[in-house]
Amino acid sequence: MKINKEIRRLSRQLLRASFTDGQLDRGKIASLIGSIIAKKPRHYISVLENYKRLLRLEVEKRRARIESASELSSQAASKIFSSLKRRYGNDLTAEFLVKPELLGGIRVRVGSDVWDGTVRGRLQRLEQQL
Amino acid sequence: MSSILEEIETKIAGLKTSTTKSNVGVVRETGDGVARIEGLSDVMLNEMIEFPSGIFGLALNLEETEVGAILLGDNTKVAEGDEAKTTGKLLSVPVGKGLLGRVVNTLGQPLDNKGPIKSDTFYPLEKIAPGVIKRRGVNQPVQTGIMAIDAMIPIGRGQRELIIGDRATGKTTIAIDTIISQARLNKTGEQGDIKDYRPLYCIYVAVGQKNSNVARALATFEKEGAMPYTTIISAPASDTATNQYLAPFAGAAMGEWFMDNGMDALIIFDDLSKHAVAYRQVSLVLKRPSGREAYPGDVFYLHSRLLERCARVADEFGGGSLTGLPIIETQAGDVSAYIPTNVISITDGQIYLETDLFYQGVRPAISVGLSVSRVGSAAQIKAIKQVAGKVKLDLAQFRELAAFAQFGSDLDAATKARLERGQRIVELFKQKQYNPIPVEEQVAIMWSMQNGYVDPVPVDRVKEFQGKLQDYLQTRKEGLLRSIRERKQLDEDLESQLKSALEEFKSTWQ
Repeated sequence: MKINKEIRRLSRQLLRASFTDGQLDRGKIASLIGSIIAKKPRHYISVLENYKRLLRLEVEKRRARIESASELSSQAASKIFSSLKRRYGNDLTAEFLVKPELLGGIRVRVGSDVWDGTVRGRLQRLEQQL
Repeated sequence: MSSILEEIETKIAGLKTSTTKSNVGVVRETGDGVARIEGLSDVMLNEMIEFPSGIFGLALNLEETEVGAILLGDNTKVAEGDEAKTTGKLLSVPVGKGLLGRVVNTLGQPLDNKGPIKSDTFYPLEKIAPGVIKRRGVNQPVQTGIMAIDAMIPIGRGQRELIIGDRATGKTTIAIDTIISQARLNKTGEQGDIKDYRPLYCIYVAVGQKNSNVARALATFEKEGAMPYTTIISAPASDTATNQYLAPFAGAAMGEWFMDNGMDALIIFDDLSKHAVAYRQVSLVLKRPSGREAYPGDVFYLHSRLLERCARVADEFGGGSLTGLPIIETQAGDVSAYIPTNVISITDGQIYLETDLFYQGVRPAISVGLSVSRVGSAAQIKAIKQVAGKVKLDLAQFRELAAFAQFGSDLDAATKARLERGQRIVELFKQKQYNPIPVEEQVAIMWSMQNGYVDPVPVDRVKEFQGKLQDYLQTRKEGLLRSIRERKQLDEDLESQLKSALEEFKSTWQ
């Protein structure tokens, strides 16, 4: 579906209206979607699709995906999470995943920033340099 | 064996083992050599992006939530959902003398099975051209070896001279002739036969050409011994639009290395029409808005920033130069189309080739009236100026009179003489391909024409006369040619020597 200027503008306006004090507001989002569905402006389905995408990107910016080769101890996990919160603000949420193919170490992704301290990442870098 | 192990060990030790930070995005869409990537919030314009399969891309469109990137290499290896990573690097190519004699692709990788390129210097593809302070005027000639060009449309080192014409009018031939002429001069210069000679290295960029054409050019260069001074950058028609779009910039980077290091280089872009078409394709699949003839709005800037990199650098900055010979193919002689007018306005003159002349047998088919060189006459050597100063005017008058004389047969003697002279000049300027004439022979030939030695020769035998005269000068009057080459101007002594040589030759000619 081609997104035209109007759709882009409207969905951006919706996103801008979804914040309270710099944080996404569930209640506001729900009422915005409700009013769009009730009013049915032109291309409202595309607007909602695009709005959903913008929201997803916004949520991702505030969510840390912490991948490790083995289960992290709760102490290590909270240490990592609190240091990430210091860097990205208190509204950060965390998601812990276990990925054995990383071989060792952890990989943290917040938005499009990635910290890679895994054995697999190092091996890949080694492979490129040799 | 142990040395290899040690090497690996030192490399491992040198590796940073700490955690690295990078910026990533996810491929949302790919096709037609282009990928759209979501994320990559820190990417720079023109930055290289790395895909998991080892393929690289170039970020060209930075949008609100997405990045449009063109892919270098096999674009079937990039799939939706792949994680792309920024590298913080700009695309660069190897430069230096190690590239001479080689055929490479856009990325500077060898295509000629002659082993890896020996180079440890890299230049970015996109570079801002030298500014006003770094430049100086054109004052040294590029001897193309084509008499019509050297006499009437002279090219100087650091100039940008457009070669424009329809298909199959001999545009590439002029470029190849120029390269062969440089190779011969470079060889003579190496032997020390020309005082203060600065070698001119050549770069031939083939964009969107048939592979067979590139192979033919390569074979010609090898046969004529021009390859040791030449680099060929090939982005043939089968290559991706990305590679065709980037090839001229890669060539300019390679040429700039010579210029920055105080040497002279010549770069031929064959041709910029196909380059514009490749860029149009890239822009359209990146969904950039299209303008006239569906070219994107920045197609002028595309060519102007490329050609602006050709320059003559002032002596305090090394005194190097990069001469550009872009080629444009017109459709049915239409120079007022979009891309031709753009490039005409950017360059310092053009050599216009005409189909009609070509089929009349005037080869090279240079249209004297429409061809100009805006700065080259400053670079002509004095000897050529002395003998060729009036040729352009003579030819222009001849063309006017020839059209007029068709209506009547009763002509006064002066008009008749002018017509006769004109016909002979046209004959003299016909030249076989891959056969550049050294500048001293050009001077001698034109001197003989200016002083009426060619007038008694029947028009259909002028070429024969010229050939015999060249043979005679080469074999019997080598000293005279050498003095013209060294003194670079015709003084009284040389003129009298030329006169006696021509008299002697005339007595043997029949």
